[in-house]
Amino acid sequence: MTRRKRMLEQLDQEIRDHLERETQDNIDRGMSPEEARYAALRKFGNVMRVKEQTHEVWTVMWLEQFLQDVRYGARTLGRNPSLTIAAVLAIALGVGINVGIFSVLNGLALRLLPIPRAKEVLSVNQILRFRGRGNRYIHNNSGYFSWSEYRDYRDHNHVFSGVAAYEPYVEATLASGNARRILGTAASCNYFDVLEQFPALGRGFAADDCSSPGTNAVAVLSDAMWRNQFGANAALIGKPIILNRTPYTVIGIARPGFTGTEPVPSAFWVPVTMQKALEPGQDRLANHNMSWLAMFGRTRPGMTLDQVRADLDVIAQRVNQQYPGRTTSLAIHTARFFSSPEEREFLIPVSSVILAAFALVLLIACANVTNLLLARASVRQKEIALRLSLGAGRARLVRQLLTESLLLSLAGGVFGSLIACWSFLRLTRFLTSHLPGDFPPISINVAPDLHVLFYALLLTVLTGIAFGLVPALQTTRPDLSSSMKGDGSSTTPGKRSGRFLLQALVGSQVAVCMVLLLAAGLLLRGLYYAQSVDPGFEIKEVATTFLDLGHQGYDQPGATQFMVRFVDRLRGIPGVSEVAQAECAPLAHDFSADHFTLPGRSDQTPIEYNHVTPSYFSLTGIPIVRGRNFTWADTHDSPGVIVTESTARRLWPGQDPLGQTLRESSGLARTVIGVARDAQVSHLGESTSNYLYYPFGPEDNARSYVLVRYATGFGDVAKSMRAAAQSADPNLAIDVSRLEDYLEVWRAPSRIIAGLSGTLGALALLLCTIGIYGMVSYSVSRSRREIGIRLALGAGKATVLRHVLWHSMRPVLIGGAAGVILCAMVSGVLASMMFGVSVRDPVSFVFVPCFLLGVAAAATLVPARRATDVDPVVALRCE
Amino acid sequence: MSTKEQQERIELLQGTLDLLILRTLQLGPLHGHAIAKAIEFRSDEVLQVEQGSLYPALHRLIKRKWISVEEGTSENNRRAKFYALTAQGRRRLRVETSKWERLAAAIAQILRPAGQEEQ
Repeated sequence: MTRRKRMLEQLDQEIRDHLERETQDNIDRGMSPEEARYAALRKFGNVMRVKEQTHEVWTVMWLEQFLQDVRYGARTLGRNPSLTIAAVLAIALGVGINVGIFSVLNGLALRLLPIPRAKEVLSVNQILRFRGRGNRYIHNNSGYFSWSEYRDYRDHNHVFSGVAAYEPYVEATLASGNARRILGTAASCNYFDVLEQFPALGRGFAADDCSSPGTNAVAVLSDAMWRNQFGANAALIGKPIILNRTPYTVIGIARPGFTGTEPVPSAFWVPVTMQKALEPGQDRLANHNMSWLAMFGRTRPGMTLDQVRADLDVIAQRVNQQYPGRTTSLAIHTARFFSSPEEREFLIPVSSVILAAFALVLLIACANVTNLLLARASVRQKEIALRLSLGAGRARLVRQLLTESLLLSLAGGVFGSLIACWSFLRLTRFLTSHLPGDFPPISINVAPDLHVLFYALLLTVLTGIAFGLVPALQTTRPDLSSSMKGDGSSTTPGKRSGRFLLQALVGSQVAVCMVLLLAAGLLLRGLYYAQSVDPGFEIKEVATTFLDLGHQGYDQPGATQFMVRFVDRLRGIPGVSEVAQAECAPLAHDFSADHFTLPGRSDQTPIEYNHVTPSYFSLTGIPIVRGRNFTWADTHDSPGVIVTESTARRLWPGQDPLGQTLRESSGLARTVIGVARDAQVSHLGESTSNYLYYPFGPEDNARSYVLVRYATGFGDVAKSMRAAAQSADPNLAIDVSRLEDYLEVWRAPSRIIAGLSGTLGALALLLCTIGIYGMVSYSVSRSRREIGIRLALGAGKATVLRHVLWHSMRPVLIGGAAGVILCAMVSGVLASMMFGVSVRDPVSFVFVPCFLLGVAAAATLVPARRATDVDPVVALRCE
Repeated sequence: MSTKEQQERIELLQGTLDLLILRTLQLGPLHGHAIAKAIEFRSDEVLQVEQGSLYPALHRLIKRKWISVEEGTSENNRRAKFYALTAQGRRRLRVETSKWERLAAAIAQILRPAGQEEQ
């Protein structure tokens, strides 16, 4: 400041000297002293401006002006607290919602793994393409590697300090006191070293643990597992635990908070070489053509992604040579939860849709603030016109107004982001701790990080510019004279376009609001239908359990033996009236299908099928309407099948289906022995698709659902069923659920989305109502004179009211119609969640627009009534 | 000042003031008023400089390091700020002068035939 002051003083002195010299010159030329001084001043020009311009050369102008604008803007906003608070709240709402949702998506897809130097750890996935016919076994994810491919990359790369692989989501039954089913990981023995996650207690895997398949049964447990199941007993190290009937020695307990590299926490880790013992019946290690191992590596210091790609591509080429016709391309990313291309392909569109929906609400909030500012701008028009006429540049004024709107958006953005980060943290914690029982726990960290901060900042600035630019340009339009002299009520073209702008904003608000509310309405209709619909079978009072015995180490005779004992015990439970087995339980999201050919026809018909015991039909209350049921003596070799009514009608129209034959894709011929009534056993809301039943055979015992119809309470039956399983095999744990619960799985997505779009729609409606109210009160206050003239000329109050209403509702109607059309165009994406209700369901498409228009009319009516209170004398004298 | 006289004077083209200052300072260090006088005098009083505009221009040139400034004593024994050309400014002047000459020649080239046609 002192430097600047000194400079200014020197400049003052210099200009004074200059003027004196010029004056002296003029006197020498013969002017009178006074005349000479004036001539000098004339020749010099505007002293103040010269000083200012000189000063500008030296200061970083924009910064100073910016600070000046900030000070001025803060003062202006402070003078109008109600408007400021309304605007800040609207922005806080919009930005807050967006930031909250983003922080969840960030936790899912963007956040790095919680490990040291996470940036160095790269996830490697492969995308295989085949020339002609190629075959590949896939377990979990097609981007995964086989054991031999993993070893190729591990041993021949020059870019990683270590490459690890693991099979995620291995299901195991932990036998101890009360048996439990848990999810774990089969990992290569350098897994903990590459991640630098050394167990807190005991040790991680050593290289010998993976030396040869099936020899080293050791396990590392997660901290949570160790605490919950073993009471945090340090003496557990060195002791055996039993997973899927094989004993493993516990060698370590993972660091607290380390749950693996997948979104679902891993409860244990065993060497990948134990795969066959862990998942009996499947030898993945020996299958070189199976994708089942996720792979990641830690780069050597200084390696770039391009170097890694180039090096690994060489190995990929070499692997290709072993499989003629196959080309491999590698997808290499920094490792995150959800880093495989398959998962990202799903996650990115879904999250963009969600973000877009929320951005729409932000847009409405923006439009509202713009409305508020536009309305105020008309009040400020005089001030701005004065500044323009005094020589302020338009760009300079726009910048000042933008600074003001950025101040507003910053206040709103910071406020909204703080609340969002806090509440979403609580919300996720609440949600993840209250998930339904059979839902795997998800570890998701939604705490804000740099990504969230950056997103919030970007959003805030964009918001500020979005809602500030239009009013700023509008107000500073160089149309001085009218605004200077009048009180702003004149109707110049500029004014009219201002009103048009307001109307366009309100119209688009209504359109967005309409889309959101309609989506919510449609989904609610679908949900209501799904709630009340009769699925075609008796879903109540049926308990079900899924048993994958083959996976748990049973051979086929063992499984059959167990099942006979188990079913026998189930029948003995008091209150149980019927027990059935099926390959898939109704609506269990478990589908099997085959292609069938009819005799004399060349085309193939895809038909879904199920293997069921004879008791299945009576238990589910699906009647055999023609022919006969299976018998207990039937096996897979019995040729008879039962088809549904719709299938029979479709395959043999006008003929008797009984005795007809159809051929499986394997070539075996089957004969129809019965026809069952249609039921929604496969997809909720769909009963007429092709479906047939095979008889249940002993082969199915290795993997089947057991259904139990009971007459007592579910809790008792579930307990007895668990006890029955334990008494048939003490090392086996079963989960029992209601058959009705499967309905929930079908309804959950639509319930979540309906809730989401309903909440958003309600917020949008609120913002929209404020917008309409603001627009109408603004236009009424602006057209007082016009209304006064109409009243003075004898128009009735009702006529004036009608006139105002019509003009105000016009943008609402146009926007509403646009919203309806837009929604009708895109509602197809909801089809899978509608359970058979049309995506252009007339009830929603009539009711929702009526509701919205009703609310809009109410928002219009209140300020419009003020128009009729105008006293013509007062209104006209105002001019 | 008669009307006729005013018409004969030409307002400076934007940006040329910098060039004129540089050229004037080639003669040696001068203070602000002297620069203004020199430009008027050397152009036979055809070019009219709004003297005030000299100062922002001088400061701009200082910032670009084309001229330097130091305190000195003027002809009538008064302290004043003297402006002088720097080496960088001298180079700049050469570049700008040749640029200006080419521009002037080009414009003259275009204007000449039009003048002949009118005759």
